[in-house]
Amino acid sequence: MTESERGCNMPIIRDISLNLNIRDVLRRQGLGEVVKVRPEIKVLIQELLTDIKNSCMLEPVAAYEYYTVRSMNDSQILLKGNKVIHGPLLPATFPEAKELVVALCTIGPGLEEQVTDYTNRNEPLRAVLLDGIGSAAVDKMVIDVLKYLARESSSRGYEISSPVNPGMHGFPLTEQWNLLKLVNSDEIGVKLTSSGLMVPRKSVSMIAGIGPEMKRWTQAEICARCKLSKTCHYKVTEQG
Amino acid sequence: MNKDLVSMIADLNEQEALKIVKDRLNAGEDPLRIMEDARKGLEIVGERFASNEYFIPDLVYSGEIMKLITELVKPKLTREEETRKSGKIVFGTVKGDIHDIGKNIVAFMLDVNGFEVIDLGVDVPEQKFVEKIKESGASIVGLSGFLTLAFDSMKQTIKAIEDAGLRDRVKVMIGGGQISEEIRKYTGADAYGRDAMAGVTLAKKWTGIN
Ligand code: B12
Repeated sequence: MTESERGCNMPIIRDISLNLNIRDVLRRQGLGEVVKVRPEIKVLIQELLTDIKNSCMLEPVAAYEYYTVRSMNDSQILLKGNKVIHGPLLPATFPEAKELVVALCTIGPGLEEQVTDYTNRNEPLRAVLLDGIGSAAVDKMVIDVLKYLARESSSRGYEISSPVNPGMHGFPLTEQWNLLKLVNSDEIGVKLTSSGLMVPRKSVSMIAGIGPEMKRWTQAEICARCKLSKTCHYKVTEQG
Repeated sequence: MNKDLVSMIADLNEQEALKIVKDRLNAGEDPLRIMEDARKGLEIVGERFASNEYFIPDLVYSGEIMKLITELVKPKLTREEETRKSGKIVFGTVKGDIHDIGKNIVAFMLDVNGFEVIDLGVDVPEQKFVEKIKESGASIVGLSGFLTLAFDSMKQTIKAIEDAGLRDRVKVMIGGGQISEEIRKYTGADAYGRDAMAGVTLAKKWTGIN
């Protein structure tokens, strides 16, 4: 990952190299146990991964910004510059935060256009597998971006907490409008639909707390808290 | 070794399955019997999926094999046999939601199982469902949605179907990542399905196919 640019005063991260391994991809297909995967399907996934490498289907880019916390109560956090983020999940997750970092990640529209293309060409298996690869790519990207932000924060003597996303219980999806204004979303080409979903679809928005000592959770702990934990086929963790 | 069509499809052996179909067609066998065996194979795939032996990609793969077999058999069917479908289903992702891959999988599996699927796409307004039910005379409606806000859209869509006087004419199934019995009750749907095979099973039950 290269150094972030301070274009329009809000930083952007480009040149994120996403090295996807087959295990991550399979988990996003509901195929947690590699042994059970048919060789034909594995071959097809490898083929799609090679196609991705040889094309510009993945264009990962992230926009982010830090905000100083002025105050918080049970249901919201007030930031410097009179910006407010609503949702009880935030103060409950990082009450000790001195700052918040807001980040928006996308792999761009290329992959989902290719998925639509496969669907229209009556190749649903390729469509499903490539869509899963896209989800795995976003997951990987989120991890990389969080590592990058952790490094940046640690150079200032701070730690970063686990992130929360609008749409999680206690952090309404309606906060998406608020959130996208806090980063340079135009620069990375992410827009909202009327219901607050992001286009390109393969995008994630998140907020993490920054401070001298921040709590982090394992993916298994995050999964355990989700309402879908018993039925979800797409856990990104073996223990979860 | 006697490799029959049913088990070749069940084992997702594409090459062998297609070879058997070609051989049987060349031998002048009734194309409807071939299709029947192919459907039996697909049923076993469904059972293996239900018991976690197979996964979504395997299911979709079986659908692709079925499509290829149908293409081979089609020219041998009479016009009436060719167009005979098990039932019409209006399907779409409800207003406000743009998730499509789950919906596409269910629509595809319904299609290969002999249903005529009218896929309205994503972010479909209630009235569009109403219009298409009227226009097509479909007896089943499938609503897909992954977001919490989709529950309200599902409820509104079912209400719109009721307001148009069509509720008694159609059975409504819903599905998507978060859907449960509680949400089925909230929306007023007739049933919910956790996955594509559940959708196929419901459609078969409602149209009287075993
Ligand atoms: C993969 C995934 C992602 C990926 C890809 C998303 C995409 N659209 O491509 C990424 C990582 C990008 C992502 C992002 C986000 N996601 Co997301 N995501 C998921 C996840 C894990 C799987 C969804 C999926 O694509 N499944 C793939 C399909 C093939 O599988 P399936 O759901 O099992 O489909 C089957 C069944 O549902 C069924 N079915 C489907 N429709 C129907 C219809 C009928 C009639 C029947 C019978 C059956 C049926 O059959 C299908 C085939 O067997 C779900 C959680 C889950 N377990 O469902 C969350 C989930 C949908 N996401 C969620 C959220 C919050 C988000 C974000 C808003 C987070 C954020 N702030 O960034 C963003 C929004 C993205 C955007 N564009 O705006 C929430 C939504 C909650 C809510 N409040 O509404 C969920 C439920 C996770 C959670 N536990 O909170 N997400």
